[in-house]
Amino acid sequence: MRSSRGYLTAPLAAAVAIAFADSSIVVLALPELYGRFQTSIEGVSWVVTAYNLAVAVTALALVLLVHRLDAARVLAVGLAVFLVASVACALAGSLGFLIGARAVQGVGAALLLAGSLPVLGALTGSDATGARVWTLAGTFGLAVGPALGGVLTQAFDWRAIFVAQAPVAALGLLVVVRSPAHPVAAEGWRSPLRRTLPANACLGLLFGALVGALFLAVLLVISVWSYSPIGGAAIVSALPAAALAARPLERRLGRLAAVCGGAALLAAGLIGLALLPSASVALAVWALALCGAGIGLSVPVLSNAALDPSAGLTRSGTLTVGARHVGLVLALALIAPLLASKVPAAGDRALLRGTAVLLDAPVGLDKKVPVALDLRDAFDRAQAGETPDLAQPFDAHGADHDSALAATRDRLLGTIEATITRATRSAFFVCAAFAALALLVAGLFRRGVVP
Amino acid sequence: MLAALLLSGVALFGVELGKGALSEPPPKLADPCLPRAGRTGGIDATIQRIVLDGLDGAACRLHTTREELVLSLGSGGHRRWDEHTIEVALRSGLLRSLDEAERRGDIPGFAGPLLRRLVERAPLDRLIRGGFSLRDLLG
Repeated sequence: MRSSRGYLTAPLAAAVAIAFADSSIVVLALPELYGRFQTSIEGVSWVVTAYNLAVAVTALALVLLVHRLDAARVLAVGLAVFLVASVACALAGSLGFLIGARAVQGVGAALLLAGSLPVLGALTGSDATGARVWTLAGTFGLAVGPALGGVLTQAFDWRAIFVAQAPVAALGLLVVVRSPAHPVAAEGWRSPLRRTLPANACLGLLFGALVGALFLAVLLVISVWSYSPIGGAAIVSALPAAALAARPLERRLGRLAAVCGGAALLAAGLIGLALLPSASVALAVWALALCGAGIGLSVPVLSNAALDPSAGLTRSGTLTVGARHVGLVLALALIAPLLASKVPAAGDRALLRGTAVLLDAPVGLDKKVPVALDLRDAFDRAQAGETPDLAQPFDAHGADHDSALAATRDRLLGTIEATITRATRSAFFVCAAFAALALLVAGLFRRGVVP
Repeated sequence: MLAALLLSGVALFGVELGKGALSEPPPKLADPCLPRAGRTGGIDATIQRIVLDGLDGAACRLHTTREELVLSLGSGGHRRWDEHTIEVALRSGLLRSLDEAERRGDIPGFAGPLLRRLVERAPLDRLIRGGFSLRDLLG
C-alpha cells in the first residue's frame, strides 16, 4: 500500500511542478511567439502575465472558500481545466486566443495547487511530508521552467510546451480518480492565517525578484547574446544548482539569518546582472549562482512559515500560491513597459555603434557600406520578430576568408550585445528592489517571518 | 559561509565596475564636424579616407552623424531626408574632402580635377559603396 501510494505521489508532484513551471515555461518561446503573432513586447508578455495573474486572483479568491471544499474534487477540477486549457494553448491560432487559454490554464493551476496539498498529505501519510513534497516540486518546477520550455521550443516548436503538459495533467487526473485518499479540506476558518502574512509578503517579493533571474536573464542570454535555448538553459541552470548547493548551509544558519542572507544574496545577484558590462557568460553565471544561493537559503524557511498547519494547510497553501504569483505579476507589470521602452531604443543605438565600428575598421570600402546596410535590414527583421543573425551579413561578404572582416564582425557583435545588455539594467534593478524590500520586511517583521 | 557569499557579491560588483559597467560601451559616435585622424598610405587607403571624410562632411551639413547618414542610404524606411538633399550633401562633402586630401598632398595635383569631375558626375551609390578606384580612373 505504501509503495503504491508512493507511486501515486510522483505524478501529482509532477503536476504541481508543471503548474509552478508554467509561470516561466514560455519565456524562451517569447521571441518565436513575437514573430508568429506579429505583436509587441508588451503584447507577447501577456502570455506570461495572464497565467500568473489568473493563478494569483483565483488562489486569493479560493482562500475564502477552499476550507469548505473537498480537496480531491478541487484538485480533479483543477487538473481537468489545466488539461483542456493546455490543449487549447497548443492549438491557439491567434495571440488573443492564446492569452485567453493561458488565463484559463492559470485558473486550473490555482485549483490544482490548492487541492494538491491535502491530497499529497494523505498520500504520503503526513501533512508535513506532503507539504515538503509540494514545496520541493514547486521550487524545482519554477527553477527548471525556462530551461524545459527552451529545450521543447528548440527541439520542436512553442506548441510542444503545451502539448507536453497535457499528459502530465492527464496522469495526475487519473491518480486523483484512482486514489484511495479523499481528504476533505473542511478545516473551518482559522484566524491564525494572518500569522503567515509576513512570510507570504516576503515570498511574494522574492518571487517578484525572481522575474529578473528567471525571465529577464533567460531572455538576455537567448535573444541578445544569441545562445540556443539549450545553451541558454545550461547557463541559467547555475541558479537551481546553487539553490540546491545552499540547502545544507540553510540548515546550519538560524532561520532569520537564512531569510535575510538569502534576500541579500538575491538582491546582490540581481544587481550583478544589472551591472553586466558586456555579454559575459562567466559574470552572468556568477550573478545567477548568487541568486540561486539566495533562493536556496530563504524560500524553504519562508515556505515552512507560510504553510502553517495551525492555520489550515489547504488555506495557508492557497494563500501562499496567491502571494507568490501576486509578486510575479507585480514585477512583470513593472518591467514589461520598461523593456518595451528601453530595448528598441538600445537597438537603434547598438546599430549606430556597430556602424561606427564597421566604418573605422581596416576593411575595404566595398564591404563597409553594403555590410552596414545588410545589418540595418537584419535589425529591421528583428523588429518584426525574427531572431537576428548579425553575423550573416559579414559571412555573406566573405568573412570566412577575410580575417580583418571576421575581426570586425566579432568586435561589432560585442558592441551591439553590450549596448542591448545595458538596456535591461533598469529592469534588473527593479527586481533587485523587490529582493531588498523582502529583506526589509524580514527585518521589520522578524517574528512573523520566522515564528 | 554566508559572509563569504555576500563578499563574493561585492567582488562581482568590483569586477563589473572594473570592466567599465558604468561607462557607455565604446565606440562613442564622433562629431562629424570635427576633423579626425584617418589612415593614409596607398591608393585604396587614400580613397577610403576621402570617402569617409566626405561622409563626415555630408553628415555635418545635415546635422547628423556619419553612421546615421550611412544607414539612411539605399531603400528602406530609414530615409530621414529626401534623395536630393542626401545627394547634394554627399557630393558637397566629397568635394570638400578632395580639397583637403589635395592640401595634405595625399593625391597628386593632376588627379584632383579628374576626381572632382568623377564626384560631380558618377552615380552616388557607386561612389559610396567604393565601386571605383583611382586605378579605374587613371586607367
